[in-house]
Amino acid sequence: MGKLKRVFMYLFLSIAAIVSVFPFLWMIVSSTNRSVDVTQGKLLPGPYLFENLSKAFETIDIVPALLNSAQISITTTVLALLIASLAGYGFEIFRSKTKDTVFSILLISMMIPFAALMVPLYRMFGTISQTMPIIGIDTISSVILPTVTTAFLIFFFRQSTKMFPKDMLEAGRIDGLSELGVFFRIYVPTMKTTYAAAAIITFMSSWNNYLWPLVVLQSPVKRTIPLLISNLGSSYSPDYGVIMTVILIATLPTAIVFFLMQKHFVAGMTGSVK
Amino acid sequence: MKKMLGLLLACALVLGACSSNGGTNSAGEGGNGGDGGDASKITIWAWDPNFNIKAMNLAKETYAADHPDVEIEIIENAQNDIVQKLNTGLSSGTTKGLPNIVLIEDYRAQSFLQAYPDMFHPLTDSFKAEDFAEYKLGPTSVGDTRYGLPFDSGVTGLYVRTDYLEQAGYTVDDMQDITWDQYIEIGKAVKEKTGKDWLSLDPNDLGILRVMIQSAGSWYLKEDGKTADLADNAALKEAFETYKKMMDANIVKIHSDWSQYVANYNSGDAASVPTGNWFTPSITAAADQAGKWAIVPLPKLTNNADSVHASSLGGSSWYVLNVPGKEAAAEFLGATLGSNVDLYQKLVTDIGAIGTYKPASEGEAYKAPNEFFGGQVIVQDFAKWTAEIPNVNYGMHTYAIEDILVVEMQNYLNGKAIDQVLADAQKQADSQIK
Repeated sequence: MGKLKRVFMYLFLSIAAIVSVFPFLWMIVSSTNRSVDVTQGKLLPGPYLFENLSKAFETIDIVPALLNSAQISITTTVLALLIASLAGYGFEIFRSKTKDTVFSILLISMMIPFAALMVPLYRMFGTISQTMPIIGIDTISSVILPTVTTAFLIFFFRQSTKMFPKDMLEAGRIDGLSELGVFFRIYVPTMKTTYAAAAIITFMSSWNNYLWPLVVLQSPVKRTIPLLISNLGSSYSPDYGVIMTVILIATLPTAIVFFLMQKHFVAGMTGSVK
Repeated sequence: MKKMLGLLLACALVLGACSSNGGTNSAGEGGNGGDGGDASKITIWAWDPNFNIKAMNLAKETYAADHPDVEIEIIENAQNDIVQKLNTGLSSGTTKGLPNIVLIEDYRAQSFLQAYPDMFHPLTDSFKAEDFAEYKLGPTSVGDTRYGLPFDSGVTGLYVRTDYLEQAGYTVDDMQDITWDQYIEIGKAVKEKTGKDWLSLDPNDLGILRVMIQSAGSWYLKEDGKTADLADNAALKEAFETYKKMMDANIVKIHSDWSQYVANYNSGDAASVPTGNWFTPSITAAADQAGKWAIVPLPKLTNNADSVHASSLGGSSWYVLNVPGKEAAAEFLGATLGSNVDLYQKLVTDIGAIGTYKPASEGEAYKAPNEFFGGQVIVQDFAKWTAEIPNVNYGMHTYAIEDILVVEMQNYLNGKAIDQVLADAQKQADSQIK
């Protein structure tokens, strides 16, 4: 009886795995086929990967878009981790009633959808552009600044800090470390897994961010990779083979980041929920 | 402490790198610092590199020959992206970053023109309206003021596989002057003899309904462009009934996205396409089907006296935004797509784009036969049908109403009475759009 149950369980899990992996597989297979094969639903790999690749690199500005995305994502991730972890640490270690209220307000801001903030935000950057074009509309800074830290990330760090052994901080203080010293030399090294998880989350959402860069970036040279992909599908007769190849290239960095930090990621996520 | 300093230094570096980058870029823009685009440069937003962008590049080349001092930058954005960017930019009231010229689909044009009336630059004096197809003027104007320069024709035709027709005992001549009911009858015969479906439809895209009702000079909205016209719309009612007849006749292949749609024809699984002329490249992509296709006039509604063999699907026009550089932009449009007959010949030969500029149809390129379609002079035919398209006001809510109709269509197909279906749709539309 137990064996039968196991068989069913594995059957169910296999189906679920196939369903969730299929789009990814389909993307990889399609990148090796011509557009006609893709539209006809061919499921077997073809010999056209290199043709698609050369077409993609010849006709589409992938490299500049990748560099733009990398610059934005890495800067956002570094800044977001620094700011959010300092904030989360502060909220938890130096707790007071007022700070808890501020924190609740911060959490409420998580519930406002970005679409509602977009127009006022755009207006704000429009005004900033007149005095400080360096961080105004159509600059990389204008993409980074609104996402430089999120309420979720602060919440994430605060929850993780709850399990941090506070005696260690005391020990550091007694040994003569300054408050910032305590943070950077004791807290940061101990919370590596949390940082890894947060880095993956931030990097991925920044890499895939579409709506805000779309409205705020105007010059083609500043385009990020999701904007580039969106354009590829815009024609009346798109080349699906090439599009899939570009998407494949675009997913590689997030995949690499994820696999590099996977071990820490799982530990960090479960740690924060505990 | 050293480590911390190092980290702070790294952060400062990264910040500095990105802001200096921003600095050089904005300096490259001309650094006028104020609102809107640069006065010495014309920026253009459009979608589809093989069609609209190519067309604009041709226009740019012809213009640059006489105006070497004008710099023109054409930026490619997907259509939905343009809509999103325009809406955000225009509704936030800052014109910073907006282009001088933008391409807008005719169905959406009024919603922009009416919502942001001050943001568009009138083109009334930049081109001769009477030189353009009548049906393009309604969507691109507000009152007597022209805001859009009409561009590609959305004129429809019926693409049909002649080899399947012959197997079913019909010829292209039998298709010349038919109604939708006759179209369905022929489709049944084709399905019976060849086993191939007659056409491919997407249940979420009621384009074929729009085609049918425009052929009778009717639309989802009344002439004011604001009131929904569904419950007592005879043309729409017949279009619904025709749609159901197609489904009941079991001659429809269903697709859910563009790639499946094209694939159904490229693989030879479906035999006819009632759609806009921009579908031609998708048909000709299947080179092995050369000589097997013909394009015949669109069928008309069976019981509607106003219905003609011409309609439109899609199509877009160029608009000049009210930002610095608008005069130069208007002049550019007027001198190229507004009056240059030779340019329109090039559009046909190089891209296959059929414009709506009437004098252009006298040119050579419009009279060239197309070998893929068995030597048929397809551009001439499309140009002829373009002139016959009834003029309707697409109004502000075409897509909002279509969302309602998509649901009600399913109810209708599942057996709900037609009058009730349209009355319900009318009620929803009235409460939604006001």
